Amino acid sequence: MPFETTTNLTIIFFLITLAILLANKLHFSSIPLLILLGILFGPCGPHNAWFDLRLVQNCELVSFLSHLGVLLLLFYLGLEFSASRVVQNGPTILKGGTVYVGLNFLRGLILGWVFFHSLPETLIVAGITTISSSAMVTKLLMELKRTANPETELVLGFMVYEDAFMAVYLSLLYTYFLTGGTSFTSGLLSGLVTLLFILAVLFSGPRFSPYLERWLHIRSGESFIAIGFTLLLFTVLVAEKLHVAEAVGALLLGLILAETSHAKRLVQMIAPMRDLFGAVFFFAFGMGIDYREFWAVAGITAVAVLATVFGNLFTGWFSAWICGYRGRPALNVASIMIPRGELAILVAGIAASAQLTAAFQPFAALYVLALALVSPPLAKKSGRIHNIVTNIWSNLHPAK
Amino acid sequence: MGLIKEAELPGLGKKYLLELEGGERIGVVVYDEGLRDLFYFAAGENEPAYTVTLTDQEARQIASILGGVFYQPKMLEKLEMAIADLRIEWLKVAPQAPAVGKSIGELNLRKNHGINVIAIIEDAGRGKKKCTAINPGPSFVFLPGQMVVAAGRAGDIEAFEEMITGGGVQNGAV
Repeated sequence: MPFETTTNLTIIFFLITLAILLANKLHFSSIPLLILLGILFGPCGPHNAWFDLRLVQNCELVSFLSHLGVLLLLFYLGLEFSASRVVQNGPTILKGGTVYVGLNFLRGLILGWVFFHSLPETLIVAGITTISSSAMVTKLLMELKRTANPETELVLGFMVYEDAFMAVYLSLLYTYFLTGGTSFTSGLLSGLVTLLFILAVLFSGPRFSPYLERWLHIRSGESFIAIGFTLLLFTVLVAEKLHVAEAVGALLLGLILAETSHAKRLVQMIAPMRDLFGAVFFFAFGMGIDYREFWAVAGITAVAVLATVFGNLFTGWFSAWICGYRGRPALNVASIMIPRGELAILVAGIAASAQLTAAFQPFAALYVLALALVSPPLAKKSGRIHNIVTNIWSNLHPAK
Repeated sequence: MGLIKEAELPGLGKKYLLELEGGERIGVVVYDEGLRDLFYFAAGENEPAYTVTLTDQEARQIASILGGVFYQPKMLEKLEMAIADLRIEWLKVAPQAPAVGKSIGELNLRKNHGINVIAIIEDAGRGKKKCTAINPGPSFVFLPGQMVVAAGRAGDIEAFEEMITGGGVQNGAV
């Protein structure tokens, strides 16, 4: 019934607005709050004889909007990606970034293998735990007034690197799970094909970007956004017909358009849409979770959170050390990059659509929530941690 | 002049660092969303001692105050800004200066002297200043007491200064 759909949607958007307003008020990231409200008021929310919090349901329209949110998130990731920017950052950041992402990814793989002893699950766990949330990190940087600090350039450089890595890894995951999917070899094969395709796009991009450049040279903002959005839907459709995961299509279109001079304008226009429908995605993700499943995953989440916090403190400090930062700035780098967010949830979403263990959604939700709670105080107290560590160090080596 | 260091902050905006004469540094971060953050680093420190957040509007207001648009320091009645060869000067028209009573067109400032008059500012009483003309046309006539904002090459500006302030007591009692 159309009326019920509208009511449902209105309540959902009301809750989304509430979560975002609350997040801004509490100086907290909106993503974990959106998931939390989705869990509380979704179809699996708490209810008994006296009260019933189950206000909203997951209907076709909501899942479509959240699907759109995923496509826009990936399109945006592609648009922001720029190989030249990764290289431009200079060889030191390239070296540090490789070490940083490599070590974190390795930790994710080890965790995944320890938890599940099987390859697909390991790949998902690695995807969830490797990459920090750029949205949450930039927010923290602004809040702690560290944007002008010298080490912040390094943090942001690492994040550009992380996003680039994740763009490639995500498209591999999508291909592996949603197209080849069933066996190891076919998944690996389609993954390789996707990788080749991405490389081909990146290398041939400069050749046909002049055509796109001229074609997209449109002054009117109205026509520009209409064409951009249609292009996105069209690419998704073509990708589906070619048996490439549609999300990969959105990402690749972003990669191609990122090479043109219109990228900045598109980013400005897509960002509000991404925020809105991305919020629907996070909320819908929460709606799919039954909070009673939290107990089952509490153990592995606790291990993963501890491994991420201490692992990240080490990998962040070590890669900052490689880039020539010592002492407190290095610890600032390490402590601020702990939060996980949008990309972790995206990966958990892949696991859900690939029908892997149902444990991933509550795991990812709990994991993101716990890190969002732990990381701001850690980042704030980096100076104190530094003092404690140097004290212990000097007590252990009094002669030096 | 202090050296300004510029750095891109991907996803955030741009950062500018200016080292002051005392070794302290002032950092300005311009966010893509429009906000500005101002930072003060004590000499040799990497953590800011003070920070201020400004909206776009506030930042512009502060910028114009710092730039001397509202009030110029008495010491520097003749303010100069040097960017490569370009000079922008604020000059007060002296009572007996050669240019008094003549129009911009008559003096043929742009063609013969390479001077562009950007604005004329007059005292509006009670110490307040008021911008009488922005980008005045050729028929504009110079009168004593006006403040002329002019742009040109260093040599041309010096010649123009002679026309505006020469031939009388400089900045004489009005």
